Amino acid sequence: MNDRNPTFAELDRDGAIEEAAAKAGINRSQFLRRSAFAGGGLIIGGLPIAFSLAQGTSKGDVDILNYALTLEYLEAAFYKEANSGSALSGKLATFAEVVGAHEDAHVEALKKALGSAAVAEPKFDFKGTTSDSKMFAATAMVLEDTGVRAYQGAAGLIKATAILEAAISIHPVEARHASWIAHIIADGGSSPSPAPEAFNPAADMETILAEVAATGFISTESGATPSSPSSGTPSVAG
Amino acid sequence: MSNPPDPRAIDRVDPDGVLREGAEALQSARVGQTRSQLFRRGGVLAGAGLAVGAIPIGFAIGQGGLPGGDIKILNYALTLEYLEAAFYAEAIKKGELKGEEAMFAEVVGAHETTHVEALKKVLGGKAVKAPKVDFKDATGKGKFLATAIVLEDTGVSAYQGQAPLIETTEVLATAGAILAVEARHAAWARDIAGDNPAPDAFEMPMDMQAVLDAVEATGFLKG
Repeated sequence: MNDRNPTFAELDRDGAIEEAAAKAGINRSQFLRRSAFAGGGLIIGGLPIAFSLAQGTSKGDVDILNYALTLEYLEAAFYKEANSGSALSGKLATFAEVVGAHEDAHVEALKKALGSAAVAEPKFDFKGTTSDSKMFAATAMVLEDTGVRAYQGAAGLIKATAILEAAISIHPVEARHASWIAHIIADGGSSPSPAPEAFNPAADMETILAEVAATGFISTESGATPSSPSSGTPSVAG
Repeated sequence: MSNPPDPRAIDRVDPDGVLREGAEALQSARVGQTRSQLFRRGGVLAGAGLAVGAIPIGFAIGQGGLPGGDIKILNYALTLEYLEAAFYAEAIKKGELKGEEAMFAEVVGAHETTHVEALKKVLGGKAVKAPKVDFKDATGKGKFLATAIVLEDTGVSAYQGQAPLIETTEVLATAGAILAVEARHAAWARDIAGDNPAPDAFEMPMDMQAVLDAVEATGFLKG
């Protein structure tokens, strides 16, 4: 890999990480029980469940949805920037177009579900990673692997069944993306493996936000962390 | 900050530490702990995939006390994993695959065998037996990849369909860990075949009956 590739392991210590982690801490409740949630089974806007927030949606679930939305904003903006440039061709261009459309769909579904409780889109700075095909591919793999770990880590904390169903309809799609880009990078070789482990690792919100903060891709903190409305019931979308 | 996972529990099932990293990931998913060092791709890929018989920590905890519904789901998952594992074992044994298809079969076959062993270990005496299978010519060069795509896509939909029904947190965490891997397999096979690796923005679940009907329709299961 190119030394200039941004990796989430490059921790910076400017305080942004701590701030994000502190905000994530509000959701470190343990062993939340998932409760039954009326209204599964419909298809709204391509999302295979009735996925608008309903009365009684827990603050924890709203936080998780906004956390997912923030990651999806990040991914969608990354592919949008890549697709608007001219660095990609062939398999990488196809990948960026298909996956970018998926991330856009995830953003729209999550925004629709959250309604007025949705966090605003942050400003991004991808630091030139979308204008070089190798850096694009390496960054895309990191982003997708991160998405898989994030959804997987959050799933067990979701209370409402309908929201869990939504999360696990996105989780395997992120895994497909991650596998796909690894296979493109491997180019017939064995590394990186599209499926490196028998059990995919998970990560919690605090970890993921720290990794995202370390990239420096989020250039404004506005809306970038799951600091959802702290009072009142989220409005019902759609 | 959070406490680290209890290392003794891991050592019980993973004395060599081979699966430690993956196990800690599952543990962190369960109790919300930070394991930032887990953010390394590929460092344990061969070891974890081939650690047959070792099971993630979060998964072992429920042994002996699982609800009946979870046992049913685990046995259903085990049946699908038996089918997948047998498929790849036969394809490898037959020896007709070359290049990327052969590599795919080796890696994915090892994963499915790991899933089988993990599920059997958790279920203990309640585990269903491996079904008799007949893959006809599907494990040969001409049909292997198309069959693998169907099996893996079905596996994704099957785990996705069951996850919301799972009662035990540890079982849900492991189902999620396997769900993502089946999705990686499916995308990998599709990309080798020149199909769209990720055809939809949202994955569609299948319920147990739909999956079992689809499996029965293949004729791969005998008795």
